[in-house]
Amino acid sequence: MNNLKELLQDADPLRNEPAGSSEHRDAQRMAVLAAASRANRREEATPQSKVRLFAFLAVAVIVVLFLGERVWSPLILEADAAVRFEMRLAEDRRAAGLREAKIAGKDHPIYLHAEVIANNADIAAAHIVPDGDFYDVDIEFKTSGATRMRAATASHIGRPVAFLIDGQVIMAPVVVAPIGSYAEITGNFTKREAERVVKGIIGK
Amino acid sequence: MNGVDVVGSFPVAEVADPTERLAALFDAHYERLYRLARRLTASTDDALDLVQETFLKVARSPKSIPNGLTPEEAWLVRVLVNTRRDQWRKASARRRHDSTASIATNSREFEATLIAQNTVWQTLDVLSPRRRAIVVMHELEELPIPAIASLLGISAITVRWHLSMGRHELMHALKAGGGGTK
Repeated sequence: MNNLKELLQDADPLRNEPAGSSEHRDAQRMAVLAAASRANRREEATPQSKVRLFAFLAVAVIVVLFLGERVWSPLILEADAAVRFEMRLAEDRRAAGLREAKIAGKDHPIYLHAEVIANNADIAAAHIVPDGDFYDVDIEFKTSGATRMRAATASHIGRPVAFLIDGQVIMAPVVVAPIGSYAEITGNFTKREAERVVKGIIGK
Repeated sequence: MNGVDVVGSFPVAEVADPTERLAALFDAHYERLYRLARRLTASTDDALDLVQETFLKVARSPKSIPNGLTPEEAWLVRVLVNTRRDQWRKASARRRHDSTASIATNSREFEATLIAQNTVWQTLDVLSPRRRAIVVMHELEELPIPAIASLLGISAITVRWHLSMGRHELMHALKAGGGGTK
C-alpha cells in the first residue's frame, strides 16, 4: 500500500505549511495555565464543600447498598450470566458437512465447519475497547489456544472465520493473516453488552 | 549518551505544584500534540483549538496525569484523540452536508497540485478519529504497530484491524471521489 502512503505524505499539511507561530503557542500556554490557576484556587477555597460532598456520597452509597439487595439483584445476575463463546472456520458457499447460519445484521448466510477452533477455555483475557458510539471486545488467547488458532487459520487465508456468542454468529471476518494471540470482536456492542460478553468469556 | 537524552529522561511529573507541572507538561508535549492534532483536523485553526481543548481538560484534572514522560505522552494522546472524537460526533451531520461545497470552493482557489492534496486530506474525514489517528501514526509518523498500541492503550490486533480497515476505506473513498492513486 505504498501508493496510499505516498499520497498521504504528499498531502500532509505539516509538509506544506509554515511551522506554528510562537504567538499562538504562547497565547495557548497562558490560557491553559490561567485555567489551571483558577481551578486550583477553587479547590483550595472550598474544603467544606468537599466534606459535604463526601458526606452526601457516603449516605448515597449506604442507600444504594440497602436498595441494591432488594431491587437490583435480577439485573446483576443477568449481567453476570455466562456467555458461550466459540470460533469456527467458515465458508461463503454451501458444502457437505457445513451448517448454514445467519450473521447478525447481515443479509447473507455463512456456512460453519463442525469443529470449534477456540472457546471460552482458550481465552486468557478479554476487555472492552470503546470505538465511537459502540464498544468492541479485545480477546487474548492462551498459548495452547493461540497455537491451535494459528494452525487452523493459516490454511484458511482469504476465507471467513466465525465468532459466535451464545450460538449466534456475530461476525465473520475474512482471515487476512493467521490469527495468533489476539483477536477483536467488533460487534457494535453497547457498553453493557460488551461488559457482559467480557465477563461471560472469561467466566468472572 | 548526549545531554539531550539525559534531560529527556527526567519525568515532568516530578514538579510538585500543579500549575508548574502543567506548564512543564505543556512545554514538553505541545509540539508533538500539535503535529498529531494538525493531521487529525482540516485546518491549523481546528488543530490549535483541539490542542487547547486537550490541555484545558488536563488543567481541570491535574491529578489524573500519570508520572513519567512516556505515560504522560500516551495519556495526552488519548485525551486528544478522545476530544477529537467528541468534536467529530457533534459535527458529523454538519460535515456530511458541507463536504461537497467545501471541495468545490477550494477548487477555485488553489493550484492543481494543491487541489489534489486537499482532496486527499479531506478524504481522511471519512475515518473515525481513532482510526484516522492510527493511520496517521503509522503512515506519517511511521510508528510501529506495538508503539501505536501502547500510545492508545489498545491491543496490537486492534491497531492492525483499524489500519487495515482505514486503508480500505481511504482507497475506496479516493477512487469514488476521483482523488485516485498512482
